[in-house]
Amino acid sequence: MKPPPFLLAAALLFWGWQSGLLIVGAILAVVIESPRFVRARWDFSDEDFGRIWTLCSLLTLGAILFAFVDNQGPANFAGFFQEPNIQTQRGAGSSSARTAFAMFRWLPIIYFPFILAQFFSTREAVPWKTINFVLRRRLRKAKLAGKPPPPVTTVNLTLPYFALTLLGAAAHPPEGITFFWGLSVLLAGALWSQRSVRFKPAAWVLAVIVGVALGFLGQTGVRQAMRLAESMNLSWLSFLVRRRFDAEQSRTALGKIGDIKTSGQIVIRLEPLNGNAPPTYLREASYRTYKGVTWLAEINEEGFVSVGERGANTLIWPLPPLDQETNTHSANIACYLDGGKALLPLPTGSARLEKLNIIELKKSPLGAVLARGPGLAIFDAHFTDGKTIDSPPEPADRTNIPPREVAGLDTALAELRLEGNSDDEKLHNVAGFFSDKFSYSTWQSPSKSSDTNETALSRFLTKTRKGHCEYFATATVLMLRRLNIPARYAVGFYVHESSGGGYVVRMSDAHAWTLVWDEQAQTWRDFDTTPPSWIQIESKPTILRWLSDVKSRVFFEIRKLITGQTKLRQYLLWAIVPGLAILTYQIVFRRRKKQRGAIAGGLNEFTDWPGLDSEFYLLEKRLAERGVPREPGEPLSAWLERVACDSTLEDVREPLEVLLQLHYRHRFDPQGLVAEEREALRRNTTMCLERIGRVETQAAR
Amino acid sequence: MLRVIYRLYRWSSGLRYWAVRRFTPVGLGLLVAITVTMLMGFNIEESVSYQAFMLLLGLLAVAIAFSWFFHMQFTIERCLPRFGTVGVALRYFVAVRNLGKQTQSGLALLENLADARPSFAEWKDVQLDDQKHIRPFSFVKRRANPFKLAITKAATAPPLPSKQEVTVSAELTPLRRGVLRFDGVTLARPDPLGLFRSFVRTPAPQSVLILPKRYYLPPIAMPGSMKYQQGGVALASNIGQSDEFVSLREYRRGDPMRHIHWRSWAKTGKPIVKEFEDEFFVRHALVLDTFTDRPHTEQFEEAVSVASSFACTILTQESLLDLLFVGAQAYCFTAGRGLAHADQMLEILASVRPSSDKPFASLETLVLNHSSTVNGVICVLLAWDEARQQLVAKLKSLGLPLLVFVIRDAGEKNPLDHGPMRDDPEHLHSLEIGRIEEQLARLV
Repeated sequence: MKPPPFLLAAALLFWGWQSGLLIVGAILAVVIESPRFVRARWDFSDEDFGRIWTLCSLLTLGAILFAFVDNQGPANFAGFFQEPNIQTQRGAGSSSARTAFAMFRWLPIIYFPFILAQFFSTREAVPWKTINFVLRRRLRKAKLAGKPPPPVTTVNLTLPYFALTLLGAAAHPPEGITFFWGLSVLLAGALWSQRSVRFKPAAWVLAVIVGVALGFLGQTGVRQAMRLAESMNLSWLSFLVRRRFDAEQSRTALGKIGDIKTSGQIVIRLEPLNGNAPPTYLREASYRTYKGVTWLAEINEEGFVSVGERGANTLIWPLPPLDQETNTHSANIACYLDGGKALLPLPTGSARLEKLNIIELKKSPLGAVLARGPGLAIFDAHFTDGKTIDSPPEPADRTNIPPREVAGLDTALAELRLEGNSDDEKLHNVAGFFSDKFSYSTWQSPSKSSDTNETALSRFLTKTRKGHCEYFATATVLMLRRLNIPARYAVGFYVHESSGGGYVVRMSDAHAWTLVWDEQAQTWRDFDTTPPSWIQIESKPTILRWLSDVKSRVFFEIRKLITGQTKLRQYLLWAIVPGLAILTYQIVFRRRKKQRGAIAGGLNEFTDWPGLDSEFYLLEKRLAERGVPREPGEPLSAWLERVACDSTLEDVREPLEVLLQLHYRHRFDPQGLVAEEREALRRNTTMCLERIGRVETQAAR
Repeated sequence: MLRVIYRLYRWSSGLRYWAVRRFTPVGLGLLVAITVTMLMGFNIEESVSYQAFMLLLGLLAVAIAFSWFFHMQFTIERCLPRFGTVGVALRYFVAVRNLGKQTQSGLALLENLADARPSFAEWKDVQLDDQKHIRPFSFVKRRANPFKLAITKAATAPPLPSKQEVTVSAELTPLRRGVLRFDGVTLARPDPLGLFRSFVRTPAPQSVLILPKRYYLPPIAMPGSMKYQQGGVALASNIGQSDEFVSLREYRRGDPMRHIHWRSWAKTGKPIVKEFEDEFFVRHALVLDTFTDRPHTEQFEEAVSVASSFACTILTQESLLDLLFVGAQAYCFTAGRGLAHADQMLEILASVRPSSDKPFASLETLVLNHSSTVNGVICVLLAWDEARQQLVAKLKSLGLPLLVFVIRDAGEKNPLDHGPMRDDPEHLHSLEIGRIEEQLARLV
């Protein structure tokens, strides 16, 4: 089955158009149709096709690797294996899909050398064994076992390449319906030559029109169905997702009985720049409303504002409204973006992020900064004391207190006797209240109270007076609001553990604290009432932690490599180039060298065919030079009879007949010649050549 | 569990058979493209493959819809040869008569062979055997479907005028020996796009015997000298040394009438008969080993092929050949010198089945019972174990010249221990599957 003329060129042009590689597509189209106008053909051997196939296969592997790395595949898969949940699973799936689509898009280029070799080969088809791995293995085994090889079958790959090109053209996001119409035309062109002779062309045209119409309706229906599915609220799935911090809500462990387990895994690496001190807190999010045991931001992702990069590819992301501020501090921060999207841990007062290689950055009014990009982000955060990017307080930041908590809060505030105090005094007293009368504990014992209305927070404030940071932060926020001071609940990390020239932040350093509004400075300030002893309690260095740190470091470096934070990808590309050069050398130059060697040895053919290394051919050439060339199709025996008519060759007539027999056996007998006979063929040929030489010398005299 | 897999196998092979017949090659390509675009098209944000998928599906739907509108009445008459041979294309003619009122064109003729799918027991045997002998996921050693009967090709039918008959040349390549049964014939009409075929069928049960594959054998000097044959010329009515006159003697009860010498009877008044020299000619036994626990392997088929090659070659010489094997019972068929022809011997070999319910000793008994009448024995064995070596040793002890062939799996590295043939090693041959033709061609 051969497609109609110029169909492949049209398909390549279509592919180029759809993939945004129109010039490449046009060049490929011209080259693929050039065999119609160029008469030159090459006698590619099976080995040559094999080498070109190997080249294409290596290109495929390289392209898969590149596409996988380029689409954050390693980071997403690592995230999935480390923490399997729907989010990371989606990340891994998305990477796989993008890799596959990139591959499909490149396949027409990758396999172009192979199809071109087919077009320019004298056979106009490729050996089936070249692309059939199983058959190749079988042939190799048969050859090793000395069995006769099965007959060679060839296959024309024009139509498969046509299909591959169309698949490549389909591997791009939908932008209108041009692909559909283009594909319809090309498919109709391909099917025209395959139509049934039984039907008139009108019936064929009708069938194609109906088929295309059905396809059009179908694809419209699919698009609408998918939109409908996307618009459905899939929040019921969200409980399956366990996130580090969520910009929308933070479910606390308040009321949870028993010990709170924390992990020593390193999640952030920080290095202060320019000799600055490190920031104390790295905030990821803040929340406004406390409901049940959950803090809510009451702003979903749609409420985030996009932050633009300052100039294309500058990797500088200013955070308004502080983008014009003079920054006094800076630190290099490395954190993971699990699933390709995560909140950035930022020092309070961050105004500008530099060297941040991500796709998208968004900011919430509550100061959370959401980044979308590769699995690892390494950037310089420039920050200042004083102002923050958070929005000013709203009435809710002052009044939003769950009614169930009011009694407990009032009981605690009654102990403080804060009537008549200024805001600063109130803050001071509240801090003192928690540091004097409360202690840090990750353990909560079961309640013995019969009061079913008692909340975990009021129990903490009035009875147990011990708990972890979420208790302190929540209680502080609500107490301050009760005192009419705007406050918010903040989550993030506490920076304290130095490591080498920088700092490491572990999962166990995750912390919750309070943001309190400073009326005078008109800004939010960090206000942490958790007793400082929490750091000692949470940090329990063990041998296992050391081992875990080593693993974490190795993992971090690998992630740096695979997320393009190093120059690996560029190195990878350059590493492919010498490989390609070697293969090209193998295909082109070694073949020429072999041919030259064969010609220099007096043989104009390859010597790996059975018997074609026979020295008798030298004799044939020599005798033909005497003016009796062998006619095409003339058997050697008949030609030798003609040659031997020359009386000057009386001496060699008899040895020539013996030599011819040996030559025939060497050439065609499956058993071949034994070593002595082979040697005899070689020796006697030399002898005959010498005799002929003598005869010619005498004749010349 | 095996039952479930067997059901799946039956279902999938049935589906494959249906798809290969129903779809044209372009249609099959379209099916592959539909599958690929479907897999690519799940993510409609990243790719427009879903558009390609729906377009291809639309075209296929039109093609399938066209298959509902094809009706035709026809009769056929198949002209089959008597025999076919495994691996050799079998060409024959089918006369098709169009009984309808319209001329039908662009049709293809497809043969409906009998369902070749094995029973559960047969299928299980093969699977267990594969598990035992083939490494998992080894595609290189994986053999072709042992149950496939033949490779059929769709034959292109010329235009069929109304109420007229045309002849279609058909071809198939048998893959298994034995009886190949035809159930009927299908006439297929592709849709306008050339993707999907609609069928009309007619029953036409017929069968053809497929003979085993044969190899070329060089002229072989068979072992053994001539021997007196008790049956005399009655057993060998053709030619030989049997007409050598020796003397006259008085008639004895039972002498054949044609030996009466009428002139002497007239002279003496007593019936006198002519006496001839004893009947001597060559008679060989061809022993086929059918004892294997791997009934569907190539090894047994190759053994039958080797035996068939000898049957064909020896019966062209002036000798008798006894084919000895054990199937449902012990069999001995004699052919040659006018008794039976090679094709009759091949017919028997075409139907030989492995013996799994009898001991090897039954073959030994059969061969030893016949040993007194034969000049030499050719043994085609499936193994070279103790029982087979014992049989060979016993035959050697009777002074019978032997030619022993042992069929071995491909890639068998260990050389064969000569055993009882150590004093005559040149008559013990190991034939490796895949190289049997080459190894037989080297026989002297």
